[in-house]
Amino acid sequence: MITIAIAKGRMQDDALALLARAGLCLSDEALASRRLALVDDSGKYRFIFVKPADVPVYVEHGIADCGVVGRDILLESEADLLLPLDLGIARCRIVVAAAAPEVIQRDFGMLRVATKYARIASAHFGARGIPVEIITLSGSVELAPALGLADLIVDLVETGRTLKENGLSIVEVITESTGRLVVNRASYQLKAPAMTTLINALDSTINGAANA
Amino acid sequence: MHLSRIPAGMRYYIGSEARVRRAVEDAAMSVFDGWCYEEVITPTVDYYALFEHGMGQAEAQRGFRFSDSDGRLLTLRPDVTSSVARAAATLLAERPRPLRLCYASSVFKQQQQSHAEWRRESTQLGGELIGAGGTAADIEMLAIAAEILSRLGLPESYCITINNVEIFNGIAAHLELDEPSREEMRRLIDTRESAELRRFLASYKTSAEERALFARLTQLTGKREILKEARDVITNPRSLEALNALEALWSVIESMGLQHTFEIDLGDVSSLDYYTGLSFKVFVRGAGARVGRGGRYDGLTANFGRAEPAVGFVLDLDSLTEVVGRGELSLAGNNGREVNVFSGQDIAAMLAAAQRKRLNDERVRIEFGK
Repeated sequence: MITIAIAKGRMQDDALALLARAGLCLSDEALASRRLALVDDSGKYRFIFVKPADVPVYVEHGIADCGVVGRDILLESEADLLLPLDLGIARCRIVVAAAAPEVIQRDFGMLRVATKYARIASAHFGARGIPVEIITLSGSVELAPALGLADLIVDLVETGRTLKENGLSIVEVITESTGRLVVNRASYQLKAPAMTTLINALDSTINGAANA
Repeated sequence: MHLSRIPAGMRYYIGSEARVRRAVEDAAMSVFDGWCYEEVITPTVDYYALFEHGMGQAEAQRGFRFSDSDGRLLTLRPDVTSSVARAAATLLAERPRPLRLCYASSVFKQQQQSHAEWRRESTQLGGELIGAGGTAADIEMLAIAAEILSRLGLPESYCITINNVEIFNGIAAHLELDEPSREEMRRLIDTRESAELRRFLASYKTSAEERALFARLTQLTGKREILKEARDVITNPRSLEALNALEALWSVIESMGLQHTFEIDLGDVSSLDYYTGLSFKVFVRGAGARVGRGGRYDGLTANFGRAEPAVGFVLDLDSLTEVVGRGELSLAGNNGREVNVFSGQDIAAMLAAAQRKRLNDERVRIEFGK
């Protein structure tokens, strides 16, 4: 059996819809339940539902053979995983945002950056040689500039509405993020036939029209 | 800080776990002995410069470092191979070739590349064959690794993937990649980002068909057919020579009847700077990460003043212990033997009786009176 870790929340419905199109269907009854581990109709796949940041952990340890998780989480975790497919779901951007965009040109002192993505933020500013103090928050990052906790934020943006409603605008886009299929390195070898079947099924579901 | 705390990445082995661990070590060392490998025990503490030359700076920097009384940088050995390579070029320079050496040694590394590898002290079971090149030497390493895994009762549950790094190097040279692009291509192959790899290659002189084939090749693992497919798309002489070497190796693997547990993986490009030919990885069912790796490093001993071909591998004792310990396998020797419990007032007589039992290979536990 192949165990697939699915990031709960934002991406979950898109991920399950895509997997269903690729032939991995969960019954309505199973979906309605609150169980965190479900087996699909074919009995070949087990789904586990975990917090997004935990997907790389489960997969890297081989507890899950593969997983579906956003690129934002992967950049932040620096887990050693295989990334065979971009699933193209839950597309969004990781951006730098501020109340006043000119703040980044400020040529004195240290910029304070509030974010859930400490690694991405520090790599981004580090590469530009901009000294920053990273303030790690676990949510409602958009509040930080208004309340004076930070000058800038680095956060995930889908539509930009939350930013706007909190008086922030995008200063720059760091990178795009979409849902990715990630695979454990050992499972990729030890369960090669099953993994190849899954990857091919997903690949043709996503790119079927393009490759035909 | 509480004295009860144990530093991250360090652990105890107690009782049955320690017994299984020792049994695994003994099994591996007896396989090496069967192949006439001599045990070598290297210094636990050595100069940092040794490992910098032996492993490359990126890996060596993960060692625990401190300074000697004269200010020179020392490190707790992060690998054994560097030290063995130095010995081969110096202490053992006059010995007839090839040198066959093996070891079971602890190594120490700061934070691991993979988060799943949390240990900072681990024990490597390793073998080095120095002064011999070619298919026969390569296959000897693979066969020893396979034999150890069989001896541990894992005959059907392991998988060894093999590759030759010169296939990648030939392609990188053919495409005239500069260093950052070469690293980018390596990374995309290593993480199997097939679509991104196709996009990357699109900016070089390649056809769409070639790109698709090549991306597929580096994503799949397989048997001999992989080599056939590779020849359709990879045509530069350097890569072709490596493909020939890999094919020769595969033929021997087939004739040994080991093709079920071996796979060709052209996408294994994780340690390009280290290996010069064959590279392989060992996976075992039940372990979430690879349990061993090896390959040919013909460039290594030149660092210590004597260039000669060399091939070797290491298995991670701790990962193997975990897998073996979970199984039914009764590698733990002492478990079955009966225990005699002795007690009494006449300590001298009791000890003498106990000694007779032990000489009969029985176990004795002394019970102390109150």
